[in-house]
Amino acid sequence: MSQPPVVDVRSLHVRFGEVEAVAGIDLEAYAGQATALLGRNGAGKSTTMRVLAGVVPPTAGTVTIAGLDIRKDTLAIKQLTGYCPDVGGLVPRATPWEHLQLSARLRRLDGWEERGRDLLERFELGDVMNRVTGGFSHGMGRRLSVVLAAMHQPQVLLLDEPFDGVDPIGVEATFEIIADARARGATILLSTHLRDLAVQACGTALVLRGGSRVAAVDAGEMSGEEGARAYRALLD
Amino acid sequence: MPTALSSTDDGIDHGPTPGDRRPGYVAAARRALGDVAILFWFRRQGVRRRHLARVVSLVFLAITLSAAIVPAFLPGARGAGRAFDILLLVPSGMAGILLLNMASAIASGGGRELISRDQASPYPISPTTDHLGALLLAPLNIAWMIQAWILLGSVAYVAPLDKLALAQVIVVLWLVFSTACGQVVAWAMEAIRRGPRGIAITRFLLVALGLGAGAVQLAGRTGPLLDRVPTVWFVVGALSGLTWRWALTAAVLVVGSVVAIAMGAVPAHLAARRMPRDEQRMETDQHEPRPMPRSVLGILIRTDRASVWRSVPMRRGVLVLAVGPGLVALFGNLQWSEMTILPGLVASGGALLFGVNAWCLDGRGALWRENLPTSPTVLFDARTVVLAEFLGVASMITVLVGALRAGIPTSYELAALVATLVVVTLQVVGGSLRWSLKHPYPVDLRSARATPAPPAAMVGYSARLATSTTFTGLLFSGSAHVPDWRLSLIIAIPCLMWSATRLVRTRHRWQDPVVRARVVSTVAA
Repeated sequence: MSQPPVVDVRSLHVRFGEVEAVAGIDLEAYAGQATALLGRNGAGKSTTMRVLAGVVPPTAGTVTIAGLDIRKDTLAIKQLTGYCPDVGGLVPRATPWEHLQLSARLRRLDGWEERGRDLLERFELGDVMNRVTGGFSHGMGRRLSVVLAAMHQPQVLLLDEPFDGVDPIGVEATFEIIADARARGATILLSTHLRDLAVQACGTALVLRGGSRVAAVDAGEMSGEEGARAYRALLD
Repeated sequence: MPTALSSTDDGIDHGPTPGDRRPGYVAAARRALGDVAILFWFRRQGVRRRHLARVVSLVFLAITLSAAIVPAFLPGARGAGRAFDILLLVPSGMAGILLLNMASAIASGGGRELISRDQASPYPISPTTDHLGALLLAPLNIAWMIQAWILLGSVAYVAPLDKLALAQVIVVLWLVFSTACGQVVAWAMEAIRRGPRGIAITRFLLVALGLGAGAVQLAGRTGPLLDRVPTVWFVVGALSGLTWRWALTAAVLVVGSVVAIAMGAVPAHLAARRMPRDEQRMETDQHEPRPMPRSVLGILIRTDRASVWRSVPMRRGVLVLAVGPGLVALFGNLQWSEMTILPGLVASGGALLFGVNAWCLDGRGALWRENLPTSPTVLFDARTVVLAEFLGVASMITVLVGALRAGIPTSYELAALVATLVVVTLQVVGGSLRWSLKHPYPVDLRSARATPAPPAAMVGYSARLATSTTFTGLLFSGSAHVPDWRLSLIIAIPCLMWSATRLVRTRHRWQDPVVRARVVSTVAA
């Protein structure tokens, strides 16, 4: 790659008390590319995503996004990123529209309403935009989380398990979001258990195991029966 | 009894038959009791600071024993003066405990949950188990404990020494009986509330009850009514010593408790078969978009306000808290100087609705919110403002209701009350946010029965809040008798400075990303 990576993670460690959730991950992601983070439960995917989103500070190692240090420039990095967390990600007694309003105000967006409505329609959430999210199904919640992550067209899109429990229409809409983001030169990191969907959406795949990176491969190598066997071998 | 395989019997255990799956009442009750034990053990395993929990339990046990014994050796005990006056009040106190147990269980939609609805959903937990669990948790509440201590203490003060132990047995049985009765009424109300036109019926019943109580008070019939409360019979039995009368009283209470506990399962099952209408309505209501607030703080406050006022336990809880003590003050003809006790009571209760775990308002949305580009101090300020206004408004409603018959206050009475309100609000807000940072819990405040922290933690919080706010209330109650309004102001300034300093320190700690990450990850779990 001639261009420097937008997301540059070196020897990332995250500890929660005695537990080492991430044990020395290295990761590079580039503009206009989608990178999949694959791995079993507890591999450190979601913790890595939380670090990149500025939600959890790293215990050790360096993390830069667009040249900004996650420790020093957390606020600026939050401005650059759009994050769909792995669990929920929605304030239970606020409506989708209120979520969008909150995001737009904090990100100082102007004229966002049309795009907000369009995204809600694309994810089939237009009818429920004024209903509190506490009553949403799991899939609806996931779809709204993707909308919230993508609404401000972030430079770095962090999608943690966006396909979990989502119907085919939601999956298609998420693919479109990823494709749009790539087209405008954004960097996408996608964490998922669903290898097939990751392969379809991303160009590169990183496989994590036990808090460390065990492989970085072209996503194509992970497709089909052969890819499934290779992936399985990396997990064991 | 079959002695050989029938033609349809293949010798393989196919699990329970439909008949086995629908056990009789006794078997179901036995199973429910077993399930309560299992769930209680499960909850005990989750207690984080076991040593502290043991110490606190011993302290509460010591206080209970002291309340039951020590007053018997105080000067004036069993005398004709104050002891006699207290003896006359014991039956009313017992009736009051029954009413408060009912009100408390009704407000919490059938009592607290031994295990939350979502956590319980994968397991075969019956409404009977739920009912018994709520009953078991009812005493884990500082309000319940204080009532119990006052009653035990009053009886210890008036009962002859040789009859004290037996009298206290009756008091304990009364506490069990009244709690079980409160639970029956609460489940029945919950079943009605969830039925057709349930919300309207419940509101009508509550208004009718309030108006009835008001009419009795205004007609001056409260005293004669209290003189005729049937609890007198139990007091006479309690003080009879080892006689048939005592045995009969104990037997009536034991049988009554067993019947009430068993009966509670009936409306509990009925309520479980019906949808919780309040929660359902809250989750399906449409909220039309409003214009964007001008400032970042403004939109954060608006979001937090929505989280508070769209939550069933908070709406219901604050209504009971704001109006209940106000009505008691109104009907009890409380004077201005005595009203300084009210803001502390209401603010403490309000904090126990969500304040002691204030970050749980965001639920799983906490992770997303933490990624939004805004200063953590603005988030903290918004939460502080919303908690303060929640507590402040509830306290003010209580005071306004209570003041309806109190006449015009003097300048020093008014100053004392205003100072109490401000000091107590800041005191409770500071404490709540400090605890929220130190001990966050993942809690979903959807259910009317939800509490922001586990039962044991709630006891600790309520005890600490009750102690500090009662002290403040009494302090200003004293200053309300001094005919100089400046005294309350002079007392308020150091109190406010102390609470403000602690709040600023908590705000500073919130800025630490490691602390914030722990809180956010916990409440979103």
